[in-house]
Amino acid sequence: MEKDEAFMAEVLNRTASRQLTWNTEVLNCATEKLGNHFLNPNWDNSMDQSDPFESALSSMVSSPAASKVPVSGENVMMRELIGKLGNICNSGDASCYSTPLNSPPRFDLSMVNLLNHSTLVPFSADPGFAERATRFSCFSTGGDSGCFNGPLMDSFKLSCNQSINVNGSQNNKNSAMAGNSDSDKKNSGVSRSSSPENAESGVSKEESSVSQQIPSQNDAGTRKRKSIPRGKAKEIPSPAAADAKVASENDESNSKRSKREGAPSGNGNAKASNDGNQKQSKENSKPPEPPKDYIHVRARRGEATDSHSLAERVRREKISERMKFLQDLVPGCNKVTGKAVMLDEIINYVQSLQRQVEFLSMKLATVNPRMDVNMEALLSKDMFQSRGVLQHGIYPMDSSPAFPCGYHPQQGLLPLNNGIPNTTETQFSMKTQGFKLPSIDGFIDAHPQVGSMWEDDIQSIVQMGFGQNQPQSYQGSISTGQVKIEL
Amino acid sequence: MDLQNLNPSSLKSRFTARFLRALTEINAPKTISSSSPREIFQRYRRIKVAADKSMAYSVRSRRIWSRATLWRLRTRSRSRRLVSFGRRASVKTRTTASHGKENKEHHGAVLGVQAEELRELVPGGEAMDLCNLLDETAHYIKCLTTQVQVMRTIANLYSIE
Repeated sequence: MEKDEAFMAEVLNRTASRQLTWNTEVLNCATEKLGNHFLNPNWDNSMDQSDPFESALSSMVSSPAASKVPVSGENVMMRELIGKLGNICNSGDASCYSTPLNSPPRFDLSMVNLLNHSTLVPFSADPGFAERATRFSCFSTGGDSGCFNGPLMDSFKLSCNQSINVNGSQNNKNSAMAGNSDSDKKNSGVSRSSSPENAESGVSKEESSVSQQIPSQNDAGTRKRKSIPRGKAKEIPSPAAADAKVASENDESNSKRSKREGAPSGNGNAKASNDGNQKQSKENSKPPEPPKDYIHVRARRGEATDSHSLAERVRREKISERMKFLQDLVPGCNKVTGKAVMLDEIINYVQSLQRQVEFLSMKLATVNPRMDVNMEALLSKDMFQSRGVLQHGIYPMDSSPAFPCGYHPQQGLLPLNNGIPNTTETQFSMKTQGFKLPSIDGFIDAHPQVGSMWEDDIQSIVQMGFGQNQPQSYQGSISTGQVKIEL
Repeated sequence: MDLQNLNPSSLKSRFTARFLRALTEINAPKTISSSSPREIFQRYRRIKVAADKSMAYSVRSRRIWSRATLWRLRTRSRSRRLVSFGRRASVKTRTTASHGKENKEHHGAVLGVQAEELRELVPGGEAMDLCNLLDETAHYIKCLTTQVQVMRTIANLYSIE
């Protein structure tokens, strides 16, 4: 704190008086506007009043820095404060920012109180602070951040009153530095651990990136912003135009406004969420609101905006996406709607598949291996090449015209022998045959000659007898043919 | 599906190769004469284990369910030899089950009952949240269908007389 005061004294000595007066005039305007904003709920009036304010700010920003004082530490501190204030306000709106940003505001409020008492002067000297103050007031009058009103508004008035007497030239430096540094910080990556200023500017980046990732949520979420600045939103974009730093934000606000203008159409899209439904109806019944939603909207209107609910929503969407994929995987689930029924179907299908595996393994255990073939050697890559061509051939052997019927008894015998309930086996044997049939028919029609050839081989095998007795060469050829057909 | 089979490194071909290898090993000592039901049952168990194991090995532990299956098979084989290992294995499964239930409550799954059923079905599903569980289920279904197809064709091949 001593360093700040000493620094300001130094600046006072350096700066010319005209700068001081000019800056004080701007600050007077700022305080006046702030006071109007605080007291005047009608944003239309404030819009007119804010224009000279904006012009003053722009002039302040554009004025070249007369004295480049090394202000790094102090500027950082001030920007931190301002950034934290921004976070507080924005989180007070409760919809705008992503999850990680919601946590700091609580802490920042206490910090701001502490800082206000100690460093009011540098705090208020920043023109960017004044510009933010207008925005904060907009938010506060929206009624979302009632806690914000008490300590911060007092601090605003105090600081504004004090700043009139103190060096105004610092504003020039700070504005110039702020403009440069903010643009730099915006250009740098977004990281939560960095300074809140960075976070605030980065928030908008993060918002836009997230909103790009989750475009579907934008329409729903924009409704949230509508309610808060009732009629005051027009004021918000305009001071944004004033500051060079805020110019980029303005672009974002325009983009978000355009996104939000899609919101009325999105209002009709009722998401299957219990939270948003009733609020959506409220939203539609509202009188025509001026376009004011410029912050990315991820949380939906009426929904809790804490990190948990946002994460929950993302989770739910992931789950529904996977359910759709499973719907394609499980046959016969196209007509089914709803997660519960869908899950039941999936469970049944998995159970049936597992039972089929058990049943087939039982069948393999009971069936004597007729061919003591070295299948592994045969299942070389060359064999695999010819798989597709002859795959159908196996089916005619079972029972050519009545494939389902023929397959049934074969399967039906074994379960009876082994005590496995017959009904379940038949059920999914029917099912699986149902799955198989369409492909079989096509193949049989396509390659009848191959099937006959295969049949000849089998007949020859039967005559010859399976097992070790077969001559190796013949066995190899037969096995090759069978493997080909199978695969 | 046929085009898939042309790929020698596809899941189906890998599983087929492994499973056939295991089958030949299981059937090798057996004589052609009919076996007692007990032997048949034992062989059935071995074949079933071989099927699950070969499928899990084909998936290579890229998936949670395959890792869980392999782990389960290993602990079971160990538990048969040593009783103490069996107790440890059961304790492990119990802890994973309870942990999974905690996860379920914490995530507030809307479909708690079905999710729990699915967890029981899919190996290793106890300790997964619903999101991953659905992923694993999809892959598991795909592998199960492959397994069923291959086993059915092999069974048909064997039963041709």
